[in-house]
Amino acid sequence: MRNFGYFEEDYTQVLSEKGLWRRIFNYLKPFLFPFSGAILLSLFVTASSLGLPWLMQRAIDLYITNPEQSFDLRMTGLGQTGFLYGGLVCLGFITAFLQVLLLEWIGQSIMHSLRQDLFRHLLDVNLAFFNRQPIGRLVTRLTNDIQNMHEMFTSIIVTIFNDLLRMICILGLLLYMNLRLGLLLCLFVPLATGLTILFSKLAREHFRAIRKQLSRLNAFIQETVTGVTLVQLFGRTDDLKKEFTNLNNDYLSKTLRQIKLFGTFMPLTELMSSLAVALILWYGGGEIIRRQLSFGELVAFFSYMRLFFQPLRELSQKYSIVQSALASAERIFNLLDTESEYRTDPDSAHAAPLSLQGELSFKDVTFSYKTNQPVLHDISFTVKKGETVAIVGSTGSGKSTLINLMLRFYEPESGIITLGGHQLPDIARNQLRKEIGVVMQEMLILPDTLLNNIVFDTKKTKAEVVELLENTRLTEFVANLPEGLETIIGEGGQAMSTGEKQLLAIARVLCRNPSLLVLDEASSAIDSRTEKLLEQPLEHCFKEKTVLIIAHRLSTVRRADRIIVLEKGRIIEQGTHTELLARNGMYSQLIALDFGSGSQPTMMNARN
Amino acid sequence: MRCQRPKNNYQQPKVHNLKSEAPPDKLPSLRKVLGLIWPIYRKHRVRLLLGLMALLGVDFLQLTIPRILKKGIDALSDGTAVQNDLLTLGLLICSIGILAAFLRFCWRYLIIGFSRYLERDLRKKIFSHVMTMDGSFFSKYTTGSIMAHGANDLSAIQMACGMGLVAAIDALVMSVAAISFMFQINTSLTLLALLPMPILAVTTRFLSGRLHQRFDRVQEQFSRMTEFARSSIASIRLLKAYTLEESQTKRFAELGQNYVRSSIQVARIQGLLFPISTMVGSIAMLLILYFGGRLVMLETISMGDFVAFVTYLYMLIWPMMAVGWVANLSQRGVTSLRRIFLLLSEKSQLPPGTRDLKPETREFRIRRLSFSYPGSNRAILQSINIDIQRGILGITGPTGCGKTTLCQVLARVFPVPDNTLFIGDTDINELSPKSVQTLISFVSQEALLFSSSLRDNIAFGNPNAGMELIEKVAKAAVIHDEIMSLPEGYDSMIGEKGVTLSGGQRGRVALARALLCDRPVIIIDDGLAAVDTGTEQEIINNIIPWFSGKTVLWVSQRVKQLSISDRLLVMDQGKISDLGSYDELVLRNSFLKEISQRQHLSREQDNA
Repeated sequence: MRNFGYFEEDYTQVLSEKGLWRRIFNYLKPFLFPFSGAILLSLFVTASSLGLPWLMQRAIDLYITNPEQSFDLRMTGLGQTGFLYGGLVCLGFITAFLQVLLLEWIGQSIMHSLRQDLFRHLLDVNLAFFNRQPIGRLVTRLTNDIQNMHEMFTSIIVTIFNDLLRMICILGLLLYMNLRLGLLLCLFVPLATGLTILFSKLAREHFRAIRKQLSRLNAFIQETVTGVTLVQLFGRTDDLKKEFTNLNNDYLSKTLRQIKLFGTFMPLTELMSSLAVALILWYGGGEIIRRQLSFGELVAFFSYMRLFFQPLRELSQKYSIVQSALASAERIFNLLDTESEYRTDPDSAHAAPLSLQGELSFKDVTFSYKTNQPVLHDISFTVKKGETVAIVGSTGSGKSTLINLMLRFYEPESGIITLGGHQLPDIARNQLRKEIGVVMQEMLILPDTLLNNIVFDTKKTKAEVVELLENTRLTEFVANLPEGLETIIGEGGQAMSTGEKQLLAIARVLCRNPSLLVLDEASSAIDSRTEKLLEQPLEHCFKEKTVLIIAHRLSTVRRADRIIVLEKGRIIEQGTHTELLARNGMYSQLIALDFGSGSQPTMMNARN
Repeated sequence: MRCQRPKNNYQQPKVHNLKSEAPPDKLPSLRKVLGLIWPIYRKHRVRLLLGLMALLGVDFLQLTIPRILKKGIDALSDGTAVQNDLLTLGLLICSIGILAAFLRFCWRYLIIGFSRYLERDLRKKIFSHVMTMDGSFFSKYTTGSIMAHGANDLSAIQMACGMGLVAAIDALVMSVAAISFMFQINTSLTLLALLPMPILAVTTRFLSGRLHQRFDRVQEQFSRMTEFARSSIASIRLLKAYTLEESQTKRFAELGQNYVRSSIQVARIQGLLFPISTMVGSIAMLLILYFGGRLVMLETISMGDFVAFVTYLYMLIWPMMAVGWVANLSQRGVTSLRRIFLLLSEKSQLPPGTRDLKPETREFRIRRLSFSYPGSNRAILQSINIDIQRGILGITGPTGCGKTTLCQVLARVFPVPDNTLFIGDTDINELSPKSVQTLISFVSQEALLFSSSLRDNIAFGNPNAGMELIEKVAKAAVIHDEIMSLPEGYDSMIGEKGVTLSGGQRGRVALARALLCDRPVIIIDDGLAAVDTGTEQEIINNIIPWFSGKTVLWVSQRVKQLSISDRLLVMDQGKISDLGSYDELVLRNSFLKEISQRQHLSREQDNA
C-alpha cells in the first residue's frame, strides 16, 4: 500500500566516492569532445560577463571623467567603447545559449545510455532478485535517480567550472586594479565558503526531515483514503482525523524550522554584499583621495563585487544537488552490480546451438526458495518425445516451481534436469527458453496489434501466422475480433475475454515452434464457452507436440497420456489413466467423485 | 517491433487525472474560488501585515544604499571628501545592511510561514472532506487523483501564496521606487533606460508560457517511460520466458529517445530565458553608459548620479524578470485552487437521514432494488426482492453477478432509491448513515490492513479493547498461533517496514477485526477466499457460535463455507437466480453443482 514517495536513504558510501566518480566519468568518455566544447564556451561566457564592467570602467576613466580631452573626442571614444560593449553582450548571449543546449544534449544522451544499460540489466537479473525488491523502488532507479544525476551533468559540472573560473578571474582583476582593496575583499572568500558549507549541511538535515515527514503524511493519507469505507464502517473517522492533524502539524513545524534556517542564512549573503559595498566605499574612496584608484576602477569594483557574490548565493543549492546525485549514482551502480543470470551461461556466440529435440527429464530434484523449507523433494520423472503428461496437485504442491526450474529462473539445490539429453546448465538460457514454450496463467499483452502480439520477436510473416493458426484450429478467435489479426489489443485497445487471452498465449507459443510445450492451466473458473474454444487447439497440441500440462480440469487430465500426482513437493502417484484407475488409489477416487456418485457423503463430512 | 506503437498507451493515470476533472463549462468563478482561502488570510492578518511591513522596510533600505553611495562619490569627485566622512557613510551602509538582514528574516518567516499554514489548513480541509464521502465520490475520484490534489495542487497554491506573493509585492515596490528615483535624477535618461524593459517582460511571458507547454510534454513522456518500466518489471517472468529482453529494451529506447528530444526542446527555451534577461539588462546599461556618460560630460548630472543610476538599473532587472514568473505562478495557483474547490464542492450522495435505529432491529427487507454505479447505465442489481432474517445467508454466483455490490449497498457505501431497502420497518434513507454503519461488521474481499501493529489492526473497531478480547477473536479466526510465532507477537508492525502477511493471513486478521466489533450484522464479502482449506474448516467450526442471534451475509465461492448457511442465495447477472437451502440447491442449481464438483477434486488432493 505504501508506494507514495517513500523515503530513500542518502549516500551511504558503500561504493567509494572516487570509484563513483570514475564510473560516472566512464559514461562521460564518449562525449569528451562536445564536453570540452562546452568548457570552451564557458571561457567566452566568463570573458563577456567580466569584460562588460571593464569596458564600463574604461569608458568612465578615459572619456567620461577625463576633462583634458575635447568633448567630441570623448564622445567618439565613448561611442567606440559602447560598440564593443554591445558586441560583447551579443557574444555572451549566444555562447550562453549554445552552452545550455550543448550541456542538455550531453546530459540527456549520457542519461539515456545509462538508463538503457540499467533497463537491460534489470531484465537480465535473476528472478529471485525481484522477490526481494518492490517494483516501485526499481522503477525509481530508472526514472527519478537517473533524473537526479542528469541535473548534475547539465547544471553542475560546467556551472561549477564557470563559477570558479569567474571568481578566480574577478579576484585576479581586483588584485590587479588595486592590490590592497583586492586583498581586503579576499577576506570574504573564506567567510562565504564557511557559511555556505555550514548552511548546506544544516539545510540537508532539514530537507531530509521534511521529506521524511512528507512521505509519512502522504503514506497515511493514501492508506486512509484507500480504506475510507472501512474507516467509516468501523467508526474511526474522528480518531484518524486526529492522527492526521498530528502528522500535518508536524509537517508544518518542520517546514517552519526550514524557513527559519533559510531566513537566517539567505539574508547573510546580502549582508555580506552590503559590507563589501561599505568597505569599497570607505577604503576605495580613501584610495581615490590618495590618488591610488580611479573613479572608473571604483565603479568596476562595485560591479565585480556583485558578480562575485552571485555564484556564492547558489553554491549551497549546487552542493545539495551534487550530494543527491551522488546518492542516486550509488544506488544505480549498486543495482548495476547485481549479478546477471547470463553471466553463468555457456558462451552461445561460439558454440552452435544444441539440438534439443526430445525428452525432458527430472532426476532427484530438490529445491527450496527459503533455506530448509524445501518445495520439491527428490522429484524424478520423464516426459518422452511426443507424450502428453499432466501434473495435478493442490495449491502449494510445487507445480509452478517445476516451471521455474525448467526455464532456469532458479537452480535446483540438488538433482539434474535434462532436455534432449543435455543438462540445463549446458544450454544457453536464450535457447532453452525458446525451446520450451510456456503458456502461463498470467498474461503479457503489449499494446499492439494481435499479429505482433503473436509474432513477438520470431520474425514470422503474416501469411505464416495465418497458416499456423489454421493448422492449429485457432482461427475462430481471430475471426471474432473486429479487425482480425490487425486488431489493436492491450491497454487502450480491444478488450479480450479470459478464453481469448488463453488462445492468444497458445498461438504465441506455437508460433515459436518449441520442442516442449508447457501449459499452466488457469485455476479459476472457466465458463463453458471458453472450455469449448480451447478444446480443439488443445487437442491439436496434444497430438502433435511433447506437452507437459499443469492441470486443473479433469477433462484435460483424462486426455493426457500419463498423469503425475504431486503433493507437498513429492510425487505420490504416477501412471497412465488406466494404470492409476487400476491401482485404486487417490486418482481413482477423484474420478469416482467426478462422476457424481460420491459427492454427497463428502459434503456431509464437511458440514460436521 | 515493426508496428508503430499506438499513442497514449502508456499514459500515466496521474497526468490524466490532473487535467480531466474540471469540465470547462462549469468552472467556478474566481471570487468563489478565492473565497476558499480568504478566511485563512483573515485569520492570519496580523502576521501578514507585519510581514508586509518588513518587506517594505527591506525595499526601502535597499533603495537607500545607492543614495548613500551617490553622496560619497559626489563628495569624492568634488574633492570635498575626507576619510572620516567615508567611514561614517560605510558604517551607515553596514548598519542598514544588518537591519535589512533582520527584516528579511522577518518577512520570510512571516509570509512564507503563512503559506505553510495555508497549505496545512487546506490539506486538513481536503482530508476531512474526503473522509465524509461515500462510494459515489470514490468512483469519480481515484486515490491517485486525490493524492495528486494533496501533493501537486497544494504545493502550487503554497508557492503562489508564499514566494509568489512576496515576489509580486517586492517587484512592484522596487520597480516603482527605483524608477521614481531614476526620474528624480534625469527624466530622459530614465525613459531611455526603460526602453528595453517591456521587451523583457513580454518575451519572458511568452517564453515561459511555451516552456510550460513543452514541460508538460516532458512530464507526459516521463510518466510513459515510468509506466513502461513498471509494467516491464511487473511481468519480468513472462518477458524472460518469451526471451523478449531485446525487443523490450528496444521499445524502452524508443521512449527514452522521445524523452530526450522533448527535454532538449525545453532546454531550447530555458537556454533563452536567462540569457535574454541578462542581455536586456546589458543593453539598458549600454544606453546609460553612452547617453548617461554624455550627460556627465555635459555636466547635466554628477558622477554620483551616474553611479546611483547604474545601481538603480541593476535593481530593476529582477522585478522585470519576476513579472513573467509571478504571472505563471499565480496562474498555476488559481488553476490548482479551482481543482480543489471542485473537489470540496462534491457532496456525499447518501441522504442525511436523521432517525436512529430501534435497538433490536437487524432484519433487512429489499424491495425491487435496482442499482447501477454512478455515471454508468449498466444495472448491476436488477429488481432484487428478498427478506434477510437472523441467521446465516450464504450468497454465491459467478464473478460479476453483483454479490459485492449487494454487500456494499447494504453497508451504505452507495446510495439507493427510496422505498427499496428497509431495516426493520424503516426506509434506510431515513436513517442516519452512521447508525446503519455501526450496525454492521464488514469483512471485505481484499483484506485491507493499515500500517500499524497487528494489535491495532484487530482492535480497529474498538481501540480500547483489552488484550484478552483481542486474543479471543484472533483465536476464533485461527490467526493467534501465527501471530504468536512472530518475534514481536501482537506488536508486530504490518507494512513495508514490518512483516508481510500472505493473502490468507490478511483475510483472517480482517475476520478477527470484524468479530471484535461484535455488531448485530456481519457481512463477509468473500473475505476468506485466500484461506487454505484446512484452516477454513477450523475457522468455520470456531465462528459458528459467534453468529448465534446475528444476521450474517456470507459471500463465497467455496462450497464448504456455503454449506453452513441456513439459506443460500445464488445470483446471476444482477438477479436472484435461486434461493433455498444448501442441500436443495446442490442438487438442482447448475452453478453450485459445478463449483462443488471442481472443489471436491482439489479437496481430495489436500486431504490425501
